[in-house]
Amino acid sequence: MTAAAWAWSALRRARGTLAVLAGVAALAFALRDTRLEQDPVRSLTHPDPVRAALFDRYQQRSRFQDRIYVEDAGLTPDERARLDAALAAAGYAPMPLLERPAPDVVLSLAPLLPAADLERLLSDERLGARAREAAGLAMLPGGDAYLAELERDPLGLGPAVLERLSGSSGGGGGAGTTRAYRSPLPLRYDSVGAVYDLLVSLTPRVYFIGNDFFSVENYRAANHDIVLCSILSLVFNLALFYVFTGRWSLLGLLLLGTVVSGLTGLGAVRAFHGEVFAVVLAYTSTFVGFNNESLVHLAGLRRGAAGPGHRRRALLGVWSAIGTTVIGFLVLLLGRSPMVRQMAIASLGGMFGFLLFLVPYRALLGGIRFRSFRIPELPVRGRTVAILCAACAAGLAAVGVPRLATHIDEFRFQSPVLDAQLAHFSTRLDAYGLDDVIAVPAAPATAAEDALAPLVAAGTVDAARHPLARLPSREAQAESLRALGGYGAAVDRFRAHLEATGLRLAPARDLPAAIGPLDGWTYLDRLGAVGPVRWSDDVGGRRWVMAGLTKAAAGRVPEGAVSVSPRPHYDALLTSFSRELGWLFLAGLALMAVYLVYLQRSAARVLYVFAPLFLSALAFAVYARLAGGSIHIVHVMGFSLVIALALDYSAVVVSGEHGPVERAKVLLTGLSTLGTFGVLLLARHPVLRALGATVTIGCAASLAFALLVSLREDGARSARGVEGEPP
Amino acid sequence: MIAAVLALALAAPDAPAVTADGLRARHGGVRRLTADVVQVKEGKYWARPFESRVALRYTPERVEWETLAPVRALAVIQGDALWLVGPDGARRDLGPAAGDPKLAAILRFVRALLAVDLDGIERDFVLRYGPGEVTATPRPGSDLGLFRAVRLRFGPDLEIASVELETADEKTRLRFERVQREQRAPAPAPAP
Repeated sequence: MTAAAWAWSALRRARGTLAVLAGVAALAFALRDTRLEQDPVRSLTHPDPVRAALFDRYQQRSRFQDRIYVEDAGLTPDERARLDAALAAAGYAPMPLLERPAPDVVLSLAPLLPAADLERLLSDERLGARAREAAGLAMLPGGDAYLAELERDPLGLGPAVLERLSGSSGGGGGAGTTRAYRSPLPLRYDSVGAVYDLLVSLTPRVYFIGNDFFSVENYRAANHDIVLCSILSLVFNLALFYVFTGRWSLLGLLLLGTVVSGLTGLGAVRAFHGEVFAVVLAYTSTFVGFNNESLVHLAGLRRGAAGPGHRRRALLGVWSAIGTTVIGFLVLLLGRSPMVRQMAIASLGGMFGFLLFLVPYRALLGGIRFRSFRIPELPVRGRTVAILCAACAAGLAAVGVPRLATHIDEFRFQSPVLDAQLAHFSTRLDAYGLDDVIAVPAAPATAAEDALAPLVAAGTVDAARHPLARLPSREAQAESLRALGGYGAAVDRFRAHLEATGLRLAPARDLPAAIGPLDGWTYLDRLGAVGPVRWSDDVGGRRWVMAGLTKAAAGRVPEGAVSVSPRPHYDALLTSFSRELGWLFLAGLALMAVYLVYLQRSAARVLYVFAPLFLSALAFAVYARLAGGSIHIVHVMGFSLVIALALDYSAVVVSGEHGPVERAKVLLTGLSTLGTFGVLLLARHPVLRALGATVTIGCAASLAFALLVSLREDGARSARGVEGEPP
Repeated sequence: MIAAVLALALAAPDAPAVTADGLRARHGGVRRLTADVVQVKEGKYWARPFESRVALRYTPERVEWETLAPVRALAVIQGDALWLVGPDGARRDLGPAAGDPKLAAILRFVRALLAVDLDGIERDFVLRYGPGEVTATPRPGSDLGLFRAVRLRFGPDLEIASVELETADEKTRLRFERVQREQRAPAPAPAP
């Protein structure tokens, strides 16, 4: 054969693989600019539109989004210069802590100033000093910017009002050396990471807070997890597969198929979501385990040695395994957490991608043999399995179902450094009564003070720390307004002082029309307009007044009130999603039971398939009771994966009537799953670690049960295949 | 007559070639600078062109801008802080500028401008070099967008001669006289 003929022949034989490689390259090219979202919490939206609007509007006003805060009083000038340079290089733009409000809005709060202060501001002595100050500043290059301000507020009522507000609860928020910076969009993780590293190196002389830093930490954690978990699980699975099958070509098949499933999973997520969570990308490292399982279940189906009966039983096992896996993922798909949904879409996309990938290689798959091992087994009757399941259910009832609660910290990666920063700024916010804020609904025509009165009486809200405590009485405001009666004449005198220094300004003589006595609602509305905190809002046709919870009432949101601080808001939201997912999980189990009853036509077999789940649930409940922990959303997600993966073991062995081939397949897939999810225990991201722990525990129990316990059915053992098939 | 004018023009020294490297060499490493400055301001807020005499005292940490006539006033910039000292010696603190990036940017710019600190100026401005002068225009989105243009003119030895600042409402001309400076000795050349 000539070289050309050999090459042509090889090309013809490999044309399927070449087509797959071309498809992989095209898919990789199409997905090359996939944007990764680092924070799985930020994208959560409350399903109740009123709660969602209250939270979003409060957060938007409170300015914790798209900006960072740095407290750098302890730095030397050189360190400050280094920090400034790093911030500028990363694209951070300095911004005022307080957006300069329109002068009219500030002046409308002038009745807050005591009459004595106003009389002093309008006195000749003060006007003369202010004119001299204006002349001094006007002499500086660029001094006209100050003169423009002066023309809008000639007597300096605005600064006096802001100074008074900054002494009140959260009104000003001016923290001496705290600087605010607008975040660059989109974030460039390398340069933001450089800023973060510099800030960390300067602690504890500097404090910093901002979502960007959480994003950087999550980005780094996800990168670490993607690389580490992918490599370890791939190497482990390839080695395992080789030990069981002794064929290198299958390793290539698994390797290439895993790339295909990763890309199709990612492509499926991209089809529904603009951005992909980095933690979901890290999660795709587990696909090699799923794929191994699919490959194993589909392998060896054409082998005639075991006869047509074996093929029928094997197909029953395949349909049981694939069906329960799909149902497990579909259940996750119905959840409302975007991250969980993305994981479900990625899993389904990856699974179908891998199954399609196997089509051109079905002949190769048909001839695979598996090494079998002698494993002791304990035969039991269906009645025993039923008693075991009932005992587990009774044990579960006795131990108690663990509490279902999810906290934001369990959902994203946080380093000790960020924890320390959070604690520092929480203390700061607490000083302003803003650490744990709720929105309290007010009945129509109710004063803001009256809406809060029951909570104040119950000790839930401290009236002395609420800005309403700084609202002067009607009488005091009337006195202030009387003092402002001389405003126009004072402006005239001030102009005369300025003209003596050569300055020519034309400030308005009249105060804004809106100036007048302030009631509680007007005061809070205007305070919210000039300060960093929204103290009142109109949402859902109701008026709401915001208030900070006292330490004694922290975390206990009164009935009817809505939490608008991030931590309690997201905790409540994630917990509600967890409960929802828990119900979906149970619905998925019911659906699987119906599906398996239809396929297996035997209650004993279905009970046998579900028995490991009963055991796992009891083991988990006992563990949670002893450790005092609760179940969170990732555990529920892990349970869904357990039923998607681990129920396959008992389904396959019972379908194959505990034949050696099926047991060898289950041993291989079980070890693969344990390895793949066990690797996740090394992840930095808490979501992946919790997922790894849950699936590992569940799968270990299922694997042990499927291998060591066999179901004895009358007449069934006679159909069992030949023991000890050679590899 | 025409020949005389032509001769004078030809005999006049050429405007110095102003380059970034030349300016950095001349003005880099200033430890102390003093100058008498004649300032003329005119524009919307001034009844007539207003001329004042100013004593400038500069160190990298602190700038004193003392108006000597026709009114006495002292403005001090130190770090991000700005305060005024009136004729009575009373200090009027205008508060830390940390909370207002615009004011902080103006103070930063003034410091950089008076020391001809090119890196500091370039933070907010784009520089264009011409014969004997440098023109600075604000970068898009800069906090110093109030300035339309800033022109720095230099003498033959690249010493600062005058500065013109133009905003929407005001034009300021600064003429520098009796400039005295102390500079750090250049770093010793590395041993061969």
